[in-house]
Order: sequence, then structure tokens, then C-alpha cells
Amino acid sequence: MLATHGLTKRFGHMLAVDHLDLSVHRGDVFGFLGPNGAGKTTTIRMMVGLIFPTEGYVQVLDHRLPGDRLEALKHVGGFVEVPAFYRNMTGRENLRMLGELSGDGSEARINEVLDVVGLRERADSKVGDYSHGMNQRLGIAQALLHKPEVVILDEPTNGLDPQGMKDVRELVRALGAAGTTVFLSSHLLNEVEQVCNRAVIINKGRVVVEGPVSELHPEHSAVKVLTRDQTRAREVLGAVVGAHNIALDEEYLVVDGVNGNVPDLVEELVRQGIKVEAIVPAREQGLEDYFLGLTQSADVDAARSPAA
Amino acid sequence: MKLLKLEFKKLINQKRTFVGWAGIAAVPIIMVVALALQSHKPQGGQGPDRFFSLAAVNGMYVAIAAIAMLTTFLLPLLASMAGSSPIAGEAEQATLKTWLFRPVTRGGVLMSKWVTAVIYMAIALGLVAAAAYIAGAIAFGLHAPALLSGGSVSLAHGFWLTFLAYLFVLAGVICVLSLATLLSTIANSSLTATIGALVIVIVLNVLGNFSFFDVLKPYLFTSRLDAWQNLFSSPIDWTPITHGLISFAITSAVLTVGAWLTFRRKDVLV
Repeated sequence: MLATHGLTKRFGHMLAVDHLDLSVHRGDVFGFLGPNGAGKTTTIRMMVGLIFPTEGYVQVLDHRLPGDRLEALKHVGGFVEVPAFYRNMTGRENLRMLGELSGDGSEARINEVLDVVGLRERADSKVGDYSHGMNQRLGIAQALLHKPEVVILDEPTNGLDPQGMKDVRELVRALGAAGTTVFLSSHLLNEVEQVCNRAVIINKGRVVVEGPVSELHPEHSAVKVLTRDQTRAREVLGAVVGAHNIALDEEYLVVDGVNGNVPDLVEELVRQGIKVEAIVPAREQGLEDYFLGLTQSADVDAARSPAA
Repeated sequence: MKLLKLEFKKLINQKRTFVGWAGIAAVPIIMVVALALQSHKPQGGQGPDRFFSLAAVNGMYVAIAAIAMLTTFLLPLLASMAGSSPIAGEAEQATLKTWLFRPVTRGGVLMSKWVTAVIYMAIALGLVAAAAYIAGAIAFGLHAPALLSGGSVSLAHGFWLTFLAYLFVLAGVICVLSLATLLSTIANSSLTATIGALVIVIVLNVLGNFSFFDVLKPYLFTSRLDAWQNLFSSPIDWTPITHGLISFAITSAVLTVGAWLTFRRKDVLV
């Protein structure tokens, strides 16, 4: 559907994207994760022919970029960074022009996409008067205008308030549910977790991890145990999961490597007469750390092989 | 065609389009007011000055005196702006990436912008002529124009010669515009491209004023911008005019092809 093969971009001495191989299948809501500066936007720019790869190519359906950009772009909608419009024209006028470029600027379709993003009422105001959130919505509207098979969204929730973020995420989920393939770049792990089925994490222009979203993050195995009898609890738990899997986080014992054995763990604690105040999954805290850990270890790799 | 239509739509949605047109069309009007009110009428003179003295008594000559005056600065300035804003201006607003996200060829985008800029300049010149004739007719009346070489031609023939002169100036101005377009595919700032083009035009003008650089002169399009003045002699010496047109055509073609070569492989990063 959408793939990159050995995609590489070098700016002078800086290697922004380094032999990137991605493969997005039809119907995927594909998360493209990475910290800021990881090469996400550079990759997207190459995917739509705004910049030219130093090496490698992009494939959209049967079309290869940069050579077959024109055919490829008929099937792709989206935006790169902050969507930009003609500020002295209204949202509707902008959509009309962009629709005409893609072959369909009909009022009916324009109204449809305006409804999808909830911007119909403000469609006849000048884009220059739009808020950031409205601008993002118009960005999504223009991405959908020509009913593309692939929609590429570059950090669509960037700079939005919580409600705006929620709306956009729901929209992306709905697109996926309707069968549109979505390529969603983000630097927020939990966003990708909420809306995507598959994802890849990149850093320094290279893939760090890829796969189904459920396999991206560490096993949901860590739990936090709150007890007043930490010393004994440590012994007991250590006997079950191994002492190296136990750490202290403020007043909680963080127990790793539980692998779904929480009931057994609780039973053992109770049998040993240890009073447990609370057991909570340590997952929320683990994710961002995990993400950071992954991208930092990629830094270490990169530092080890300066030739790359 | 579709691209051209959309470019034109964008053009007329910008305030500065009309500011440019209004500004340049004001020049012949100001000229007429000054000529009508000042007690000391210009007499005789060479080149552009000669046109002023003729314009002071015959409204037919206002349009001619106006382009003689405008080709020195204001027309090149307007052409530099018109040529540079379509690419670099859109790059500045980041709308270039929105435009190029659509299935349109880069060559088509560049050409539609170039043609739109040419149309913009043609309309500007048309407005100058219209303002000149209206103001000139009111102030001095339209009479059969006298020729620089003596004698005169009919009113209709006078219009025709003026029209040809305007076409010639338009062809010359397209060189400036193409230069600005080329620079705008290299620089990402439209101001840089505008000023760059203008500076180059001024430098070429300066070079043309020194006999030391006479070897260069045949290749400088700027030295040929006044060749239309030969139209107002009898018999008309066509050689400088055709040479001028050939020079303009080659210059514009080279610059525009250069712009295309740059733009088709340009990394659009903004």
C-alpha cells in the first residue's frame, strides 16, 4: 500500500533518514513514532515528493516516487507539519482550489469533508482568522477531499487542546474503521496506542522497533505494590520473580516480570501474612520510559558507529 | 489551463496586486497634472525628455512619455515583485507544500505562475496606457502625433505605434520577471529574490552606461529596453527593435529554463 525501501536523505553531512524500510498495509492505521528530530517529517516529505531521496524510493500502490509522483499523489491526501493555506481566502475557497487540483472541487464533497471535521459553520471565514485548532481541522478536511486511499497526517494533534486532541483521534479512528489507510506521525506513544493497530518507532532516521501496537511496549507485567512491610515483601516477591526484578519507587515496590501472575503473587503475599495496601499496574509510567529508553539506546548505537 | 486559472484567482485575491496596479497607473496621471500645472513647459530635449515636451502639448504622447520614464525603475521593480512572489512568496507562507501535495507537475506549477506574472505585467502596462490616454485627453486633447524625425502620423497610426512600443517594453520586462523567477526558485525569501533581480538589473544598466563595457553591451537586455523609441521616427529603423526582441527572447528563455531546472529538483523544505 505504502512502503519505503532503503529510503535515505542526507542534508550535507547530516543523515536525516538512514535506509528506512517501512511497510504499511491496506487498512492499517499506522503509527509513525519518534522523538522530535527523528526524521519523521523528512520521511513524509519524501513520501509525497516534496523532497528527493538521496537513496532508495517510496512506493504508493503500484507507483514509485520520486519518478511517478503524479500518479501516486492521486491516491494520497494529507499534510506535512502545520497545514498551510491561503490566509486571505476562506476555508471553503481554499478547499475548492485544492479540490480542483485533485480533480474534484464539487460543493457537495466540500460540504461533506467540512462536516466530517466539524468546520462547516466557519467555512466562509478567512483562514487568517482561524484558530490553530480550526486550521488543523481544515488540514484534515483537505486531506480527505479527493477520497484518497492513503491519508498521511504529520502530528495532527500538535498544539491542540485536550478536546481537540480527542476529536482528531476519534476522527483518525473513524477513518481507519471506514477502511482508509492512515499513516499517522506522532511523538506521543499513548496517542499511537489509542488509535493505531501497527506502528514503528524511529530515531536518528532509523527503525528502532516495529510491529503491532500491542507488542510495541514492554510486557504489561510490572505492578506496583504498596505495603508497610517492604523488607519482607521484598523477600517474598523476590523468591517468586527474582530479586533483580524488584525496585523501589517512592513508597511503592515496583515488581517486574510478573507475566500475568498477579493473583499468585497476591496469594503468596497474603499467605506470608504481609498486609498489602494496594496493587496497581505500573504500565502508564513504564511507557514513556520505555520509549525514551529505546530512542536513547538508538543514540548509543549511533554514537558507536559514527560511519552510519 | 486549470492551474493558470487558479493562479490568477490567487493573484486577484491579494491586496498587493491592486496596490501595484494602482501605483503604476498613477504615474501618468501625476505626470499630466505636473505638466498641466507647471508654468514652464519642457521644450526640445533628447530621448525621454523629448517625449515630455511632446506630451505637454499632445495627450497622445503621455502614454509614450510614461513608459520612457517607467522603464528606468518602477517597471523593473514591479516585474521583480511579480516574478518572485509566486514561488518564493508561497514558500514563505508554506502554501507551496500544500500546492505540491496535489497531483500537479512542477513544470506546470512554474509555468502557470510565470504566465500569471506576465499577465499581471501586461495588465499593469494596459492600465498605464489607459490612465495616460484618459488624463492626457482631458488635459491636452489627443492630436495627430509629431514624429521625432519631423512630420507626423495619423491618430490611428499613433495608437498603433504606441501599442507596438508597449509590446516591446512588455517583452523587455519579461526578462526582469524571468530573472526574478529564477532567483525565487533558488532563494526561499521573495524579498531576496525581488531585491536580487532589481540589483542585477541596475548593475547591468550601469555596465551599459560605460563605454569600457561596450563589448558586453550586445548581450545586455537592459541596454535594449529603449529601442522602441525608434518606432517614432520615419522611416522606422527596425534593426535595433528586432535585435532587442531577439535579445529579450533569448534572455527570457535561458532564465526561465534555468528556473525550471532548479525548481523541478528542488527540495521543498518550508
